[in-house]
Amino acid sequence: MPVADSVTVRNTVAYAVEQAESAAREGQQQVSLHLVAVASTRSVDPDAQSELGQAKDLLDRIEVWLDEDLGAERPSNLDVETGVIGADRYLFSPGNYADVILAYAEEHGIERVILDPEFNPGGTTPMLRPLEVELVRGDIEVETAPVERPARSTALARAATLPKYLTVFGASYLFYLLLSSYKPLDFFTGAITATIVTALLAPIAFSRQPSLTRIPKQLARMAIYVPYLLKEIAVANLQIAYVVLHPSLPIDPEMVDLEAAVWGDAAVTTLANSITLTPGTLTVSVSEQAFDIHSLTGSAREDLFGGGLERAVRFVFYGREAAAIPSPRERGQGEDSDTESEVGEPEVADDD
Amino acid sequence: MTPMEWAIVALALVGAFFGGVAAIGIVRLPDVYTRAHAASKSDTLGAVLTIGAAALAIQTDLSTIKAVFLLVFMFLTNPTAAHAIARAAQDQGIEPWTAGDEEGES
Repeated sequence: MPVADSVTVRNTVAYAVEQAESAAREGQQQVSLHLVAVASTRSVDPDAQSELGQAKDLLDRIEVWLDEDLGAERPSNLDVETGVIGADRYLFSPGNYADVILAYAEEHGIERVILDPEFNPGGTTPMLRPLEVELVRGDIEVETAPVERPARSTALARAATLPKYLTVFGASYLFYLLLSSYKPLDFFTGAITATIVTALLAPIAFSRQPSLTRIPKQLARMAIYVPYLLKEIAVANLQIAYVVLHPSLPIDPEMVDLEAAVWGDAAVTTLANSITLTPGTLTVSVSEQAFDIHSLTGSAREDLFGGGLERAVRFVFYGREAAAIPSPRERGQGEDSDTESEVGEPEVADDD
Repeated sequence: MTPMEWAIVALALVGAFFGGVAAIGIVRLPDVYTRAHAASKSDTLGAVLTIGAAALAIQTDLSTIKAVFLLVFMFLTNPTAAHAIARAAQDQGIEPWTAGDEEGES
């Protein structure tokens, strides 16, 4: 089994171990399970050290998992090996990876390759499918481990309930009618379309149970929020226009961290997008509640840590009480940038 | 010209102005993060104002509704795209430009 870091690598290892273990218990012959990390760079390359380091970390973790999965009563005719392969050449395409894996399989008499469904060593391009196709060239059995994506599947597909179906149906029907010409036929085709949409999308549509009291309230508060946001956007855009058109380009960019007091996917997304839309601040990355924000000017940082937007988003999603939570500055954040931004003209940033 | 026409012309002109600011910003600002600022915000406002002008100018119910939907999606997708660009830059390990760099170079 080729391994690379992914959300399902743990479960795939468990599956491979389970398969190997049952094979070992059934028969008398020797069963060996090879877990290999495929290195894309050559070991002499500058990047290779970090890549090999990561591979080694992963293999160390896998050793621990193996102990967990196999427990004390490891069958005597099962042996497990881990290692790094492919460090002698560059690997670009799925074909390259398949070559390395097949060569290794042949060398060690391996009959079956188990693939992690999220196996994706090359980065962001999906390569499972092409890799499977390439591996079929070889004289071995190829199988993708039947494991669930642990985090994502629980986050995406939930059991759909009646209120969910009704909400999705209502929303899509309304949307369809809004764009239609209100002929009788439109009501009919709209119903059909909305039914299809509901059947397909209701299971993934909401992260929480929709409620008839909460959603209209949130929508109403959203209606208050939008004009506020528009005003912020307009004001801030004028500032940006001033900065950009000013002959001396008075900018003082800096990365800042914000530990935002918002919870839940929708609220965090709204806040992140609002921060990006209000000029001078750009959300670079978000994990849970920690925002990495790139800010263009000192005054933009002032506004950010003043917490107006954050408070407004809390108001939209949780109501009036939550809006009273102290602003990021009162919570003791963004103090470094305060001292800088009080200086009117752009100063030399001395943080690095 | 009727007031409505004045409004349409004003919206379109202001929209074009912010579109221009976005373009100038992309040229003048020093690095990928600051340029993403210009590309995401001024551009959003410019596009939104221009689409608003179009929505007023069309005046038929259906197309106006469609234009409004365009506005909404603009507001949702533009910051998301800017965020994706900035995060990709961060993943690549690109250091943000700071005011100190300029003095070092020039």
